[in-house]
Amino acid sequence: MNDFEYRAPASVSEAVALLVEKGERARVLAGGTDLIVQLRGGRFTLDRMVDVKGVPELNQLRYDAAEGLVVGAAVPCYRIYEDELVAAHYPALVDAARIIGGIQIQGRASLGGNLCNASPSGDSIGALIALEATAVIAGPGETRSVPVEQFCTAPGRSVLGPGELLVALRLPPPKPRSGAHYLRFIPRYEMDIAIVSAGVAAVLSPDMSSFVSARVALGAVAPTPLFVTEAGAALAGKPISEESIALAAEAARQAARPINDMRGTVEQRRHLAAVLTTRALRGAVARAKGEQVNGH
Amino acid sequence: MTTTYRSVHQRQPRLEGAAKVTGGTVYTADLRLHRMVHAKALRAPYAHALIKRLDVSKARAYPGVVGVFTAADLPQHLPRDGANRLHTVLADKEVMYYGQPVAAVVADEASVAEEALDLIEVEYQELPAVLDILDALKQDAPPVRHSMAGIDRSELAAHTTLAAADEQTTEKTPPNVTHRMVWSRGDVERAFKEADVVVERSFRASWTHQGYIEPMSGIVDCDRNGDYTVWTSTQGDFTTREGLAKVLGVPETKVRVNFVEMGGGFGAKIQPFGAVLPAIIARILRRPVKYIFSRSEDLRSADPSSQAYIETKLAAKKDGAFTAFKARAVYDSGSFPGSPLMAGANLLGAYYKFPNLEIEGLEVITNRVSQGALRAPGTPQATFAIESTVDIMAKELGMDPLELRIKNAVTQGDLMPNGRAFSKIGLVEVLQRFKETSFWKNRNGKPSANGKKVGVGFAVGGWLGGGSPSSASVELNADGTVSVMVGANDVTGTNTSFAQIVSEALGLPIERINVKTGDTSLAPYAGVSAGSKTLRTVGLSVQRAAQDALDQMFKIVSERLECSSEDLESVDGQIRVKGSPEKAITFELLGTMSTGFGSPTPVILGRGNVGTPAAAPGFTIQGAKVEVDPETGEVNILDAVCVQDVGFAINPLSVEGQIQGGVAQSLGLGFSEEMVWDDKGVLRNPTLLDYRIPTALDLPRIETALVEVPVEGAGPYGAKGVGEPPIAAGAAALVNAVSDAVGARVYTLPATSERILAALGKLPG
Repeated sequence: MNDFEYRAPASVSEAVALLVEKGERARVLAGGTDLIVQLRGGRFTLDRMVDVKGVPELNQLRYDAAEGLVVGAAVPCYRIYEDELVAAHYPALVDAARIIGGIQIQGRASLGGNLCNASPSGDSIGALIALEATAVIAGPGETRSVPVEQFCTAPGRSVLGPGELLVALRLPPPKPRSGAHYLRFIPRYEMDIAIVSAGVAAVLSPDMSSFVSARVALGAVAPTPLFVTEAGAALAGKPISEESIALAAEAARQAARPINDMRGTVEQRRHLAAVLTTRALRGAVARAKGEQVNGH
Repeated sequence: MTTTYRSVHQRQPRLEGAAKVTGGTVYTADLRLHRMVHAKALRAPYAHALIKRLDVSKARAYPGVVGVFTAADLPQHLPRDGANRLHTVLADKEVMYYGQPVAAVVADEASVAEEALDLIEVEYQELPAVLDILDALKQDAPPVRHSMAGIDRSELAAHTTLAAADEQTTEKTPPNVTHRMVWSRGDVERAFKEADVVVERSFRASWTHQGYIEPMSGIVDCDRNGDYTVWTSTQGDFTTREGLAKVLGVPETKVRVNFVEMGGGFGAKIQPFGAVLPAIIARILRRPVKYIFSRSEDLRSADPSSQAYIETKLAAKKDGAFTAFKARAVYDSGSFPGSPLMAGANLLGAYYKFPNLEIEGLEVITNRVSQGALRAPGTPQATFAIESTVDIMAKELGMDPLELRIKNAVTQGDLMPNGRAFSKIGLVEVLQRFKETSFWKNRNGKPSANGKKVGVGFAVGGWLGGGSPSSASVELNADGTVSVMVGANDVTGTNTSFAQIVSEALGLPIERINVKTGDTSLAPYAGVSAGSKTLRTVGLSVQRAAQDALDQMFKIVSERLECSSEDLESVDGQIRVKGSPEKAITFELLGTMSTGFGSPTPVILGRGNVGTPAAAPGFTIQGAKVEVDPETGEVNILDAVCVQDVGFAINPLSVEGQIQGGVAQSLGLGFSEEMVWDDKGVLRNPTLLDYRIPTALDLPRIETALVEVPVEGAGPYGAKGVGEPPIAAGAAALVNAVSDAVGARVYTLPATSERILAALGKLPG
């Protein structure tokens, strides 16, 4: 590991300037639960580490019935799942924040970091996609917004250009009669990486008998977290039934293009994509109806 | 008659425990010596290859590098053909497993040594690798290694105490079969013909790692007199001395191994893998050399536990009596012979009475890291095979699986496959006690819900127990305290138990007794802490040494008080006349007398030394209750129990803890632990993220129940070995529970969610 410079800017503009100066040789530090492990593992070298934990915009966590939720990119998981408003309006986000790493990791790890790490199995990303989150990105040019489903471009790669910084995630206010659920399958109880995950959000008709729309996202079944529009389309206008859910699950299974690796095989992952989509849909429907649903 | 004890049989917290759990204990990696340098190994990226070119010049020139070493720098007396793993310090021309050390860099800083590794240029010529255990049995398989001459098979024999009726390998033997043996009695084929039910199956168990928390590590210094001083994470200071002396070609008197606490070994640290490389380099540099494996290096290149393939065929009569057992057990030894074939093949047929029996055992080598011991080596694999088979048989017969086991369980006088008869054992007692556990009483407590299926399973396990000669000393200090010295590495609280034994023998409070493991130049000899034998062997020596010291004190006191030794007793730190407690001499006074300047009283120095004591096999039954999600294959372990015959629990607290640890490990073997290799023999999961040792959240509370069937002479107070039996049966119990839950059976360990799904027919292919 080479020597590098550590900087802790106090504002977004200062952070961007520090990043622009070093380009690819600078990296952003929030919780560090991926960055420091990768750095020590020799995955990359760098000249400058820019610690954004002191930048106010990256630490905001606020909910507004009209504007929705803003999650600063450096907000650690524990703040998300301990926040009553988040728990009340975005339980699927809590599902995800609660299962990243273990308790100690959740004290540091941020959703922003989880997204920027751009792992195909990133635990928060499926939930963010289902919840229609957008990434607010600052940089040398104009601040821009990118839907989370378009954020990751390849394993470990994202739309962030040189000098760009994820500032926050914006989630629209939950629609009436909507619910969301996030589920992950790992080989043990905790402290593991998803074999498959599914984030689902559904909007129900006023009489709660059919689906108006649905969003389904899968993790660990493609080079990037996968937004499965076919699964959502299969549900639009369909009655709420096991048959409808099975159609969406089959669409999810078809959309999955996983690989064999030491964590799971192609067939196991396709199978689990359908199982988790089914279960997450049931959970989302139950939540839309105001029922309590446990997370993982 | 109930004997009351003051110290033994009491729940004694570990004397060194507080320092361990508060981070105060010093381990090898914590040590820093003056002029110390750091070694790092370059490890082969292929499972089988020839080294065509090895250029270390750039690494040698790197700033901060003190030296770069290859096979050419090894001592001339070491065999060059990879005869045994310990002597094969660096690959010489041929790489036989992924992760094999090819060269070593020594630098002022470990990080500099690591950087310089990247500058070493190696040109490999890849060779076909033999990886699958069944491929290794084939006559036309490519050889795992070029030279088999002089290959050392001594370790294989060390796993068993018997003279095996084994066949030597012949020219017709496939090239990678390094050992074949057959045990038989009666007429199995006839028994199969006459049987009412025959069950025939085959099983596989995967490679697993011992999962110790402290990686392999060693520091070795060599001074200008050629005297070596060693600090290393090992289960045996004396075996380390022996191994290093052989590799270095020096007398054992030139090697002093210091006792350092070890962060887990479970059999992996019997051989001094962490100390050989730094010892050889220290000899060249005459500086202390530190060598610490990273976690990834340890998972790739230490000595994990081998895979096994086992075929079974069991015959029974309608009433449940087993009439014949036939099995074929193949153990993969990795790139060097030395598998636990004998132990595994023997226990495979040792739990039950089989009038007719035939067991064929085969050891093969493959292009994988060489295997080492893992707690009851070979036994979880064999137990999985036999205990799955017995469960299937119970189902076929329509019999209760526990009653079937009780009906056929071995007792004193029954024969093991190797032809030896069991001495006094407590298997039946253990099976009866199982019915009284909370686990058994609550086995129907939680019904299946939410689509999940609950099941209960159990399995018998055992370990014959190793043994070796040992010695100990007990010395009275000037202030009336007592110092005990042993040569055994304390890996499971044995020093605490030794203190209890001395406290009991001397009638002295445990606070006034200090037990230390001495270095090999000072301590009385003890064998390696392995084979579930430390407490029962060294403990006997400690008990004798304490008695010897007491006899010496009685002699002095009897002269002073003008009475017979027989009239004396030792109570609460004083030696007094029975019935006249006012006539007493304290340990303090005896201490002063026996150390004082000009005193005629000799020093009180008790000595105990014993040969290998009587065998004391320890049996268990383990139970697991699981909840299985039939859609995902996920297993949630709801309850677990282990009933074990421990002979006599010197320290029940410690015994229960050790059993719980063994059960935890066995359940890991059952559902999550597996080394995953790709088709080139490259280990895919060399991290603790992906090599899945169960976390606390993965495990339930583990109930323990101790059965005490003491064997006189086997250990102090009849104590038996405790460490290994509790890992034997957990995996088998878990798989039986899964089968009970979902009706489908997994034939490969571990029973991962994927294998369970496949067994349920939910995955194509």
